[in-house]
Amino acid sequence: MKFHARPSSTSHLAMLRTAFAASVALVALSASAEAASLTIGLSSSVNSLDPAQAQVVQTDLSTISELYSSLVTRGPDMKLKGDLAESWAAVDDNTWSFKLKPGIKFPNGEALDAAAVKWNFDRVKSPDTKARNKLWFDPIKSIEVVSPTEIRFITDKPYPALPAQLSMFYLLAPKWTETHNPILEAMGTGPYDLVSATPGDRIVLKAKKDYYGAKPAYDDVTLRIIPEAAARMAAVEAKEVDLAFDIPVADVARLNKENGLAAGWIDSSRMMVLKINTLKAPLDKQAEVRQALNYAVDKKAIADAIYAGASTVSACQLVSPQYFGFNPDLKAYPYDPEKAKQLLKAAGVSGKLDVELEVPLGRYLAASDLAQIIGQQLSEVGINAKIHEMEFGAWAKKYAGGDLGNMALTGQAWPTLDADGLLSLYDSSNPTSYFKNADFDAALAKARSTTDVNARLEQYKIATKIMCEQAPDLFLFSQPTTYTHSKGVTWQARGDEWVRASDVTPAK
Amino acid sequence: MPNYLLTRIGESLLAIWGVVTIVFVVTRVLGDPAVLLLPIGSPAAALAELRSQLGLDQPILTQYVHFLGQAVRGDFGNSYQYMRPAMSVVLERMPATLMLAGSAIIIGIVLGGIAGLLAAIKRNTFVEYIVMFLALIGQATPMFWLGIVMIMFFAVNLGWLPTGGYGSFSNLVLPAMTLGTFVAASVTRLFRSSILDVLREEHVRTARAKGLRPKTIYVWHIGRNALIPVVTMVAILTAELLGGSAVAETVFSWPGVGRLIVQSIETQDFPVVQAAVCLVTTIFVFINLLVDIGYSLLDPRIRSHGGGHE
Repeated sequence: MKFHARPSSTSHLAMLRTAFAASVALVALSASAEAASLTIGLSSSVNSLDPAQAQVVQTDLSTISELYSSLVTRGPDMKLKGDLAESWAAVDDNTWSFKLKPGIKFPNGEALDAAAVKWNFDRVKSPDTKARNKLWFDPIKSIEVVSPTEIRFITDKPYPALPAQLSMFYLLAPKWTETHNPILEAMGTGPYDLVSATPGDRIVLKAKKDYYGAKPAYDDVTLRIIPEAAARMAAVEAKEVDLAFDIPVADVARLNKENGLAAGWIDSSRMMVLKINTLKAPLDKQAEVRQALNYAVDKKAIADAIYAGASTVSACQLVSPQYFGFNPDLKAYPYDPEKAKQLLKAAGVSGKLDVELEVPLGRYLAASDLAQIIGQQLSEVGINAKIHEMEFGAWAKKYAGGDLGNMALTGQAWPTLDADGLLSLYDSSNPTSYFKNADFDAALAKARSTTDVNARLEQYKIATKIMCEQAPDLFLFSQPTTYTHSKGVTWQARGDEWVRASDVTPAK
Repeated sequence: MPNYLLTRIGESLLAIWGVVTIVFVVTRVLGDPAVLLLPIGSPAAALAELRSQLGLDQPILTQYVHFLGQAVRGDFGNSYQYMRPAMSVVLERMPATLMLAGSAIIIGIVLGGIAGLLAAIKRNTFVEYIVMFLALIGQATPMFWLGIVMIMFFAVNLGWLPTGGYGSFSNLVLPAMTLGTFVAASVTRLFRSSILDVLREEHVRTARAKGLRPKTIYVWHIGRNALIPVVTMVAILTAELLGGSAVAETVFSWPGVGRLIVQSIETQDFPVVQAAVCLVTTIFVFINLLVDIGYSLLDPRIRSHGGGHE
């Protein structure tokens, strides 16, 4: 509806007829154009296009992944596959070798070869870059150019998650970067070129003609930033947006019934837990007390009530099945308030047990409701959870400062989808672990000392079992990722927050 | 007059300084941006390094002095999130806010002016009741709700207009109507009561007694006088709207300053919050100053009394 004819002297009826004809023509036009264009609605804005500064997967990193290449990338099936890399392998425990596709060039003619990869790596590591995601690449000590098509990463100790971490390492053109500001501009070897970026509104992309990989289905892609959930749904209902995320779980069923729309949910890689401060009385000494907490809460019923059933209960571990290191042998603590009471009694807790429950707001789905209902169930076994709601930033300051209350509602995820990173949040050397267990630390260290897949899995089985028994968390459920799209498109749903136009195809 | 002007300008600067200082203190007490900026699980050393990069490891007083020194030059440092000058992040959102505020004010004045006048002329009739009822609803309706209803009706059901976004005229219509409704409701109510006040005054009775045509009386004797409080209110509303309407901007995905401020508070992007608040306060105070000066030109009594009641 960008332009209207404005007949000045015609009768109303004639005007209507003209308008009708015009709109039919417009609809016909847009229908033919729609086949090649895709609009995606995001809930928060894309802040920086510089790969060294990007951490948020759904916005910054996803957009960057349309514009630039990485060595490896994670497909919607959660498997790593080569992007710029043709193949990769661990040469020895501390060395990874990547073979690159030959002859890849940036639009300005610069070569994207091993030397350019090294330049990018040095850029992220350099203090001058002030890279916000430098931490991700800390385990890599140096990088060695073997030939223009082979590069080696050398680590201090075995770093098995390295290929997964490199799926978040995007490659700029060295010469171009000298004279351009990669925060606002882009020139990469990815499937799309940047047409325009309007801060807070939209990013417009155009498919590259000579992309080396599989050609994406859509030539024109627009990423629209729509912060309000109701507006996001309306935009999909009005057919302005083909695919949108983060819609209220309660609306999934309604949208599914609407003509031409589909909606759904998938477990995200973020596990919701009540993180327990095991270093602070009264939840510090006996694991039985923390186990009692786990028995006292009916996880399934809460997920059904708050998430409309759109969630899978945690199998007594932080790790969900999409991660490497998931332990299939563990089962969730059943809902058993009697058992909880017994455990508390055996642990010598008499009368009410007072604990704090911190609830950061504005970050997790329905945090306030979750806390209320959990608090209610805990009180039924004699645990009096005092709920402290606080703004996320204020809570994060407490959490990082070692000042966590007895319990806090939080969601934990690790972008490489590897237990190595996720479980390291509970390694006692981590200032925010609030958990000290030598056996657990040892299992993590052993898993990290090898790149052998089976040996690692064995150690994560041990580590997750310890965590389940010691219960430094009240394990809840995965936070769902919700989405809705028009039936004109097919989206390969994925729970790891990557939003890529290449995962979308026109519906057949 | 020059004395009065100087005092008012001095007061304005003081007000800006006060607001900026409060914002400075509050943001720093509330949280630690380093925790939000780095990936989770970052070691304490990395957090400390980032804090020192951002200058947040300095004593708060040192930070404050440094901040004031920069702020007077319009430099608020680099945005933590956007990693470029905070003021430019704010200024690039300003056109959107100006466009929306301007349209809403025009809609509000035209609609509210007509409705207010109608309600006053048709006093104690069905017309007045309807107009005032609508005005009451317009003012009492939460903007968020009204916005969503507008989107559902005009964009989803009828498909006449886009649900949100920025860039073309059609994108502007719904947010401007939503904000404009609120302005119109306020203008209607104030304009009507202001006209009724003036109607009772003696010069109007005199004009009537002279046998002037009602139209002349309404335009020259009542309209002009009744407009003064309306102008004041419109000026203040304009100043407020120029600070961005976070609610309307969020509902309609309008990339304005209000939404930017809210988002920057959430992410504790201090430089952007400070730059935006400083800019918005300055605009607000400046418009107020203009109104005050305008008054003093209109009414000599205010000059000598320094703005008090007559």
